[in-house]
Amino acid sequence: MWLIVLRAVWRKSALTWLSYWLNGLTGIVNYYIIFALLFFGAKSIGAGAPHLGNSLDTLFASYVAWMLAMAGCYDLAWNVMDEASTGTLEQLFLSPVGYKWVAFSTEMFNFLSTAVTVAIVVVSLVVTTGQTIHLDVLNVLPPMLAIYLQAVGLGFAIAGLALIQKRVQYPIQVVQFILAAFVLMPSTMFTWAKYLPLSMGKDMLQEVLMEGKSFWHLGSGSIVVVTAITALYMVVGLGCFSLAESAAKRRGLLGHY
Amino acid sequence: MITAADETEFLSVQHLSKSFVNRQRTVHAVTDVSFQVRRGELMGLLGPNGAGKTTIIKSILGLVKPDAGTITIDNVDAKANPKYVSQKVAAVLEGARNVYWRLSTWENIAFFAGLHGLSVSKHKDYFEYLLEVLKLQDQRHTPVRNLSAGYKQKVAVACALAKRTPLVFLDEPTLGLDVQAGYDLREALRRLQQEEGRTMVVSSHDMHFVQNICSRVVIVSGGRIITDKSVQDLLSLFQKRVYRITIARPDGIAMDRLADDVRQRFPQATFAFQGDTLEVSIHLDHPTDLYDLFDILRAAQATVNGINQTEVDLETAFLKILKGEDTLCG
Repeated sequence: MWLIVLRAVWRKSALTWLSYWLNGLTGIVNYYIIFALLFFGAKSIGAGAPHLGNSLDTLFASYVAWMLAMAGCYDLAWNVMDEASTGTLEQLFLSPVGYKWVAFSTEMFNFLSTAVTVAIVVVSLVVTTGQTIHLDVLNVLPPMLAIYLQAVGLGFAIAGLALIQKRVQYPIQVVQFILAAFVLMPSTMFTWAKYLPLSMGKDMLQEVLMEGKSFWHLGSGSIVVVTAITALYMVVGLGCFSLAESAAKRRGLLGHY
Repeated sequence: MITAADETEFLSVQHLSKSFVNRQRTVHAVTDVSFQVRRGELMGLLGPNGAGKTTIIKSILGLVKPDAGTITIDNVDAKANPKYVSQKVAAVLEGARNVYWRLSTWENIAFFAGLHGLSVSKHKDYFEYLLEVLKLQDQRHTPVRNLSAGYKQKVAVACALAKRTPLVFLDEPTLGLDVQAGYDLREALRRLQQEEGRTMVVSSHDMHFVQNICSRVVIVSGGRIITDKSVQDLLSLFQKRVYRITIARPDGIAMDRLADDVRQRFPQATFAFQGDTLEVSIHLDHPTDLYDLFDILRAAQATVNGINQTEVDLETAFLKILKGEDTLCG
């Protein structure tokens, strides 16, 4: 049953994605323009600085991580608000596999579509900026998935808030700045920072994407830690969502908008 | 295949209560509600706005947590086994808003059936059957946003039925439908119920719709059940007591005085002068009241031209029950 639900969700997500193809295209253009401005701005400010190359690598990897984090974190909360306003949210809660699996299936499709978006943006940026990257799918996907799933964990917590409050568009806009702060936090400089969401994943992504290292040779300790951090934020996010779901059912707010 | 309700209880709601706190004010949405639905039965859940119908349905579906009470579906406790229960129930809760307007009819059916673990490859024939019964074949590939309100509603019903659950809730299935679309939906549900024997609970303001498809109605008001009867019993309860009496208007009879005398004894009587006749519509609380009426007419020397029992529909019965008039009936 779980696989049939996954397949149904992916099929519907693909149809919806195709139906809103212009949104996808606009997203790619927006991400490209924002990064181009950041990149050339940083380059002109830091011209002649000795570590500019490293800084630009960090900027590149951080931007990719931020794109993933935004997609993972926002999509869930946005879906809850959107489905509640259109009237389909309660139908998803009626699925025997539970809403969490339906939402997780949607997020897995979203990861793939975001990965395609990221790939297009990254290749376009490489062409524009002349930056060198190492786009080895088998090495790049694991840290990308870790970043994305940590963001999904946060997204479940925010989606829980959206279940109760529904109109949380404005408060959750602040979250994009918090995500940026997590992404920019260098876990290699501050040991404690790697336990924050996104930070360690981004550093691993930078090593793989910009420095050409193999993910599987970053050290088993690091891989275990990033996996544990990912699991921790998923569990915390799902826990918050369960509490919010229970409160929404108690207060009769599930289908309200 | 079951073609009519059998005596087995399929859904049981016992002492269900639910209150909501709204701005420090407690609203008792449902208070001590108990009823059963037999396997294969098509039951109507009626009540004015805010009566608690949707809260009852959502509590059964697990979308609202009740404060008290037990719900069992097929003898399984819904609270202890939510997953089992969700495999047994489907619902249309917000009519056409329950489906994705960007997707086509077929894509919606495939998605919602998939959410219940039913693959298109295995259940294609059944989905085709639903399209045929609901007259949606020509709309199969049309995006829902391009369909009329009636078709959208039918797509929502098809999506709920496509899950092939033994128990289906239809909350306001005729909302916004014109007469023809309402008729089509009614006939489709009647046919599906007869051919598949599914248990259905229909909540609607459309009394004509409910009267035509439901065998039994539960009426709720103020969060409490005020009546739980078969449609036939409900109608006959009032049918026996409502009379229309036509009186000739010969010279010399003071019709105004006659009307006053009748009104004094039967305050709810209504009068309509039609040419040379007076038509009195009267609801008698007790069968023997008819003698009192005739005494008044005889005293006034009125000539009775005709006396008829008035046909009562579900809407009339429903309104009378809400006014508490059923307690007056013997």
